[in-house]
Amino acid sequence: MIIRFLQRHREASVALIIVLLFAILGLVDRSYLSLDTVLLVYGNSLILFVLAIGATMVMATHGLDVSVGSIMGLAAVSAGLLMNAGWSIPAAIGVALLVGLLCGLINGALVSWLKVSAIVATLGTLGLYRGLVHLLSGGSWIEDLPEGFKALTKAGSLGLSVFAWLVLVLLIVAHFGLRYTAFGRSMFAVGDNRDGARLIGIRVDEVQIAAYGLNGVLAALAGVIFASQIGFIPNTAGTGMEMRAIASSVLGGVSLLGGTGTVLGAALGAYFMTSIDSILVLLRLQAYWNDIIAGAILLVVLITDGKIREAVDRLLRYQKYRKFIEPPAAGHQADATKAGLSLKTSEARK
Amino acid sequence: MKLHPALKRWESVLALLLVAEILLFGAINPVFLQPSMLLYATSDFIHIGITALALTLVIITGGIDLSLGSVMGLSAITLGILWVGGVDIWVAAVASLAVGTLAGVFNAVAIHLSKVNPLVITLGTGFLFGGAALVLSGLAGATGYEGISNFDPAFVNLANLEVLGLPLPLALFLVLTVAFMALLHRTRFGRYVYLIGQNPRAAAYAGTPVFRTLVVAYALTGLMAALSGLILASYFGSARSDFGATALMPAITAVVLGGTSIYGGSGTILGTALAALLVGYLQTGLQLVGVSSHVSSALSGGLLVIVVALRSLTEMGRVWVQHRRVLRNVAAE
Repeated sequence: MIIRFLQRHREASVALIIVLLFAILGLVDRSYLSLDTVLLVYGNSLILFVLAIGATMVMATHGLDVSVGSIMGLAAVSAGLLMNAGWSIPAAIGVALLVGLLCGLINGALVSWLKVSAIVATLGTLGLYRGLVHLLSGGSWIEDLPEGFKALTKAGSLGLSVFAWLVLVLLIVAHFGLRYTAFGRSMFAVGDNRDGARLIGIRVDEVQIAAYGLNGVLAALAGVIFASQIGFIPNTAGTGMEMRAIASSVLGGVSLLGGTGTVLGAALGAYFMTSIDSILVLLRLQAYWNDIIAGAILLVVLITDGKIREAVDRLLRYQKYRKFIEPPAAGHQADATKAGLSLKTSEARK
Repeated sequence: MKLHPALKRWESVLALLLVAEILLFGAINPVFLQPSMLLYATSDFIHIGITALALTLVIITGGIDLSLGSVMGLSAITLGILWVGGVDIWVAAVASLAVGTLAGVFNAVAIHLSKVNPLVITLGTGFLFGGAALVLSGLAGATGYEGISNFDPAFVNLANLEVLGLPLPLALFLVLTVAFMALLHRTRFGRYVYLIGQNPRAAAYAGTPVFRTLVVAYALTGLMAALSGLILASYFGSARSDFGATALMPAITAVVLGGTSIYGGSGTILGTALAALLVGYLQTGLQLVGVSSHVSSALSGGLLVIVVALRSLTEMGRVWVQHRRVLRNVAAE
């Protein structure tokens, strides 16, 4: 039963680890088990949540986007420049999201139409977009953002800021959208079996490009949230975020080979990556312990998960072919099929 | 159009591009053509080339190593910590090379044990090694920008030594290029590397020592990354934990631009070496004609995209022409 459950819900193991983590922290310090803490960690992980949604979509199509950090920076800089040039806040954010969409579509076109491998294509655009950031900003920080813009991440109703509510809605929409709509399912179909998806009538190229485009919009949103949170825009805005986004999604059970994963899982992964920070504070450790702990936990989860999955697969395959292995093969079966089956079973045992 | 087979190779295109690039920058700014300029400019980027050589092996096996940037920082910090602790600088250098090699072995073992995609595993180990470097430098009380400095002058001078008129890092790069060419193209190990990349299952059935080959490939990458970290420490006269942070993407760029398939199974060391020089000189040249270093990195990103897209397009065109020829022959019969 447990095996079947884990096979179906990869995100369950991360949820378990997070609950465990909070239980331990609760034992150390009772005040930690409060709604305030949860809200605080949630507020700190907004950017990673948004990026993880995008990464889940792209990875579902068996793609990978390492340029999201640069898209974040580009969108943040565009929004900042427009706002300081006197544009209204919604218009500036809108343009930033469009910039993100365009960047994402370029990635998608490279991968889908020009058949460049995803990591190489987005590696190139990672440098390209980051260079545009420096060109646009002229190499200096963008400061003096309007107060109204910074207020978007200040706590509002029920202790959540405007962006926090927006991200919550996005998470819900994306989770159910990917699971229960035709478009969402088609992304997983493309990632699982590209040719098969084409044969059942899915517009493979368009779906892939759309996934990258949406990922670009989400990365742009992450950039806007980043700018609003810290109140100025450095040239390095978003650097290194791509690895954190991919790590969150992988931690939450999204497969890099495409075809599996849920937004809920990726979000749990992102929440986990952020909550490591709070643990450090509680354990009175310096901030520089963050990466080594994140890396160690990531590896332990990945290797355990890989081992469990291998064992589960072997067990399921064994059950599937058991009837062909144990009783002597029925007499009326043709020799050819027997040969075929024994081939299959020997593979299944492996 | 009949071309000599050697001219059809990707390496020849790269070599031509490299010459054209140097001449073009030389035409804009003659300073660029001075031999000392051409030789000493390499010190800024040659560590990327050295790492890319070993990374080529890993990518040909169908794997990838995203942790090499962290290994660079880790080896530099190891050197710094040991030096501060009073260890002889040469012993410390050997120790940091050993740490880098161990990091590579750790990668291979983790990939082998978990059967998880190397991309994911090395992403995790990248956090781990980078985190270890941060912790070590934090414990030693080194600040982020200063790092650990005041090394033995003999070690700091190493990066400025000349061997046969070449700066030592460049000479090292050339020697390593030849060594890796021999290793990949002339030994049984090299053939195993290609076989594993072409078809891991067939390789396993053929009795290829898959695990051992992978361990050596990843260990060499760790070793070269550590060596690059030491070269940087000597060049800058200080050791910082974030040394390799910007080296990972250019290293992968050099390998891919050099003609190695990111899916594994094909590629050459010479291509990687030429591509590393091509990208490196592009950066230096652009800076010399007055383009800021950030914009020049954008241009090398653009170059990667264009070159790879063009290669992909010519491949698609070739397949299309081939199909047409076959179809026409069939129709004629």
